[in-house]
Amino acid sequence: MNEIKIKSKNLNVYYGEKQALFDVNLDLNEKEVTALIGPSGCGKSTFIRCINRMNDVIDICKVSGNIEIDGVEINDKNLDVVSLRERVGMVFQKPNPFPKSIYDNISYGPKIHGKGETKSELDEIVENSLKKAALWEEVKDRLDEPGTGLSGGQQQRLCIARAISVNPEVILMDEPCSALDPIATAKIEELIDELKKTYTIVIVTHSMAQAVRVSQKTGFFHLGKLIEVGKTEKIFKNPDNKMTQDYITGRFG
Amino acid sequence: MNFVLIFLITIFSLSLFFYGRSKTKSISVEKNIKLNALPKFYGYYLVLWCSIPSLVFLLIWTLFEPVIIKSIIIETAANQGAIFNDKNEANLIYEKIKAIYAGTYFGDIDTILKESALSYAKFINLFTNSKIVLIFGIVIASVIYSLKKIKNNNKARDDVEVILKGLLFASSLIAILTTLGIIFSLLFESIKFFSVINIFDYLFGTNWSPQRAFVRDASAITAEEYEELKDAFGFIPLIAGTSFIAFIAMLVAVPVGLFSGIYMAEYASLKVRRISKPIIEILAGIPTVVYGFFAALTVGPFFRQIGENLGLTVSSESALAAGLIMGIMIIPYVSSLSDDVINSVPQSLRDGSYAVGATKSETIKKVVIPAALPGIIGSVLLAVSRAIGETMIVVMAAGLAANLTINPLESTTTITTQIVMILVGDQEFDSPKTQSAFALGLTLFIATLVLNYIAQRAVKKYREKYD
Amino acid sequence: MTKEERLKKRHSAEKRFRFYGLASIFLALLFVLILVHNIFSKGSSAFMKTAINVEVFFDQELLEIKNGASDDEILEADFFDITIESLIKVYPAKNVEEEDALIELFTTDAEIEIKRAFLENNNLIGKKINLEITASDDIDQLHKGNYPRDIPEDRRRISDFQLVIYDNLVENQKIVKNFNNYFFKNGDSRDPELAGIGGALIGSFYSIIICLLLAFPVAVLASIYLEEFAPKNKITDFIEININNLAAVPSIVYGLLALQILLATIQLPRSTPLVAGITLALMTLPRIIIPCRASLKAVPPSIREGALAVGASKFQSVFHHVVPLALPGTLSGTIIGLAQALGETAPLILIGMVAFVVDIPSTPIDPSSSLPVQVYLWSESAERGFVEKTSATIMMLLSFLIVMNFLAVYLRQKFEKRWN
Ligand SMILES: Nc1ncnc2c1ncn2[C@@H]1O[C@H](COP(=O)(O)OP(=O)(O)O)[C@@H](O)[C@H]1O
Ligand SMILES: [Mg+2]
Repeated sequence: MNEIKIKSKNLNVYYGEKQALFDVNLDLNEKEVTALIGPSGCGKSTFIRCINRMNDVIDICKVSGNIEIDGVEINDKNLDVVSLRERVGMVFQKPNPFPKSIYDNISYGPKIHGKGETKSELDEIVENSLKKAALWEEVKDRLDEPGTGLSGGQQQRLCIARAISVNPEVILMDEPCSALDPIATAKIEELIDELKKTYTIVIVTHSMAQAVRVSQKTGFFHLGKLIEVGKTEKIFKNPDNKMTQDYITGRFG
Repeated sequence: MNFVLIFLITIFSLSLFFYGRSKTKSISVEKNIKLNALPKFYGYYLVLWCSIPSLVFLLIWTLFEPVIIKSIIIETAANQGAIFNDKNEANLIYEKIKAIYAGTYFGDIDTILKESALSYAKFINLFTNSKIVLIFGIVIASVIYSLKKIKNNNKARDDVEVILKGLLFASSLIAILTTLGIIFSLLFESIKFFSVINIFDYLFGTNWSPQRAFVRDASAITAEEYEELKDAFGFIPLIAGTSFIAFIAMLVAVPVGLFSGIYMAEYASLKVRRISKPIIEILAGIPTVVYGFFAALTVGPFFRQIGENLGLTVSSESALAAGLIMGIMIIPYVSSLSDDVINSVPQSLRDGSYAVGATKSETIKKVVIPAALPGIIGSVLLAVSRAIGETMIVVMAAGLAANLTINPLESTTTITTQIVMILVGDQEFDSPKTQSAFALGLTLFIATLVLNYIAQRAVKKYREKYD
Repeated sequence: MTKEERLKKRHSAEKRFRFYGLASIFLALLFVLILVHNIFSKGSSAFMKTAINVEVFFDQELLEIKNGASDDEILEADFFDITIESLIKVYPAKNVEEEDALIELFTTDAEIEIKRAFLENNNLIGKKINLEITASDDIDQLHKGNYPRDIPEDRRRISDFQLVIYDNLVENQKIVKNFNNYFFKNGDSRDPELAGIGGALIGSFYSIIICLLLAFPVAVLASIYLEEFAPKNKITDFIEININNLAAVPSIVYGLLALQILLATIQLPRSTPLVAGITLALMTLPRIIIPCRASLKAVPPSIREGALAVGASKFQSVFHHVVPLALPGTLSGTIIGLAQALGETAPLILIGMVAFVVDIPSTPIDPSSSLPVQVYLWSESAERGFVEKTSATIMMLLSFLIVMNFLAVYLRQKFEKRWN
């Protein structure tokens, strides 16, 4: 069993009047893939967006409770979210490459964080990131072309490469394959398997099969509550909770 | 002088940028601490602190220096025995003093002028010197403050962003300042006007002829004088003329605009729409002075010709010509907005009507237009507010005399025309005539504001219904 | 009514309705055509001017200067006598009245034109050369066919005798049409043949540049604030309402604002492009902010999130990604706002740009006119020659507007990203 990397304690999230998460207590292990499942609107995205404080962007969103990364509280007002997000990268549901060249897409992060002072250092970061995202071979001859010209699956891997480029510790993925075809999905899953050697990964997914394939640990959310969490095999073979059972057997969701 | 100062501040700021950047870099290497921001942000931080306070100060100083010096000099000249009866004479003397100082004055110089010019020179020097000293003081103070901050490894990026955000906020405040400026400048003169002319005499008077308004002494107006004055400033003919011309304009703009809007929204193919919409919008892009020229030189005489042939007397500056042309100008305001509004009527409403066998025009008349009505009314009101604020067409084509008439073939005048007529050329300051232009401006401002408010409310309500 | 009749009636109502719509659009288009045709047919002749070929003899006795005289000496010299001598030789005149009638055929600047020819070549003393001297406005209009000659003499500005001379000159091919450089080069003048839009062009140029320099940055910064940073609160709402209202305030009210604040309070110089530029900037500001905000809004939030997720600060996500993407829309909105400002007349009249300015402004704080104000001024003049000048000025103004609008459309179509 790996060490605990991220720990949430009594996490409550509100959008204005509406409460979206209720007392979520969830531990995520280092260098492991944790899958979050549950019917839509149950708060999965809300939860992972707390880990890199993306919810700060939403005016009406209020977060209470604790999240610790390596034992350090991140809901602290004085914490610099920018350096937090340098450590916790994110990949979104719909690929969102910047409408710039492939090269600029990847080099943007390192540039703003002052990593890669020289062109050759940047080149190296771009190459490594693309290699780690298994995209290098496909795009190495056209780094100057716009990232938006790639296929959907390639765009998503570009976004993964972009997340990797600043050398984070954690990568959050919010339904990264929901906009992709099965072949592209398979590639990304392969990639996730590879990435977990280096990074702690949290993935939200709609596909139970995907959760089984890629994750070691699975959490099931329902109506803003974390219903059950445990080893993936256990959750899918014999869950403790009746609701989990119903969900994975497709009786609702 | 100001350019030199700006140049120096710029140079100094830029050098501070490089200083700040390299300094923090070396500190972080020497003391082996992690910086709270990239080194360049420390540079930006210094630049902002060095330049903004001093430049803002310089701007304010430059704006107010001439005004202050002028009032001081005019006062000293008066103390030395210069006599001026009104503002214009005072201005003239001040110009002379300035010319003497600049060495471009060739008239006789008496002692008063000489003394005043000397004190002018003294004050110019004093002001320039204090400006330089103060600016250096500000630059040094802010640089010391900011250097101290970066020594303590502050979060320079956050601080830079806070300052920039302040700048963004300040920019958006300019809109409020403009509104305040408008209200202030209109009220300032209007209040003076209404302290002479009773506001009810203004609002309900039926005679407008400000060129007849002479006041010997505004502070002591006799009862007879007032009777005459109030007879010169009656608003009724102006609002009548304005509404009349706007009404003629709407008679043209509403049917043509509305039918164009309906056709483009409901019938036109994508191709027709793509071509005709911009062409109709050209009408809104043509400067109004061009319409005015066309109305005055072509349409007016044309109508008179027709009138002559029919045995009618048509004034060459007729309400009809001005209203017609104004209506054409306004067509796109009606057509574009009603096109948008009709487009946002949900398709399901139309489908319901087709499903009971209605034709397209029946659907439009019975279902689409009633549904879109609040929005259409809103767009018509916006067009009305354009019409009453429109100036050049009426100045050039409608006439100057305030006739209370409903004969479209006669000339009438409008609020905007009168503002222009009163204020064009040299104005006498502090006369009710000049002030009346501001009172008219205030009336116009309030009227358009109210119309716009109602129109926007109507359109918004409508949008909320279907969004 | 039978069912068929009823149906037929409904269908013809349908056709009529459709026809009204189409007719309305055609009416609007027709008007654009009539207007443009009217202006062009009146104005295009202004780009040519009529000149009369005159033989000029540079008589040393009358001129009192020598060959090779310096420019200063030439400028000092009196060319009046040789001008008169040359002009009256165009046609044999019997008496002083007829000589005056002859001189009236030419522009009042004939002497200056002759002097200018001499300045170019100062070896002409004792020589005769042929010069094309600009004709007076009346001859110009007559020659262009804008002036009817069949009205009674006492209601004409050209006498019968002058008509005879004119016909004679035409017969001898002494009358020529040249490119009207005065129209572009000169400032305003009381004489239509000398009046030009040089001053107005420069005045408009300065005003628009100042307007751009002030309005564009402020509008962009304000839009960024309102669209990206402003918290949802009363102040923000208030600013928004303000901007929408300002966009609808009649332009003449901005003239009153400028009169009270810029001229009376801060005492900026009257009739100058500086004041015009500031006034137009205040007026254009809300009109630019609205399209700016729309193009910022059109950038999808996923771009912002993408930047934030790699650790860009909010500022960086906005200035590195959103603003560049919104730039084409912003620029095109700005250009359209400037085009409106370029055609704006009423506020400029109030700040004194209607002053009669002969000199071409060299700085933004010189008194000046502007293109639309020039149109207004000339349209008030009685001389026939000003009608074509006014129309030609409108042609220039409209061409600028067309170019600007095309640029705006081009920028948007070429560079604006469409999101799906
Ligand atoms: N920006 C928002 N504003 C208001 N409510 C939101 C917002 N985002 C999400 N919610 C609400 O929070 C709940 C959880 O949403 P989310 O975390 O997106 O669910 P999931 O990702 O599991 O589908 C939903 O009920 C949703 O309506
Ligand atoms: Mg989600």
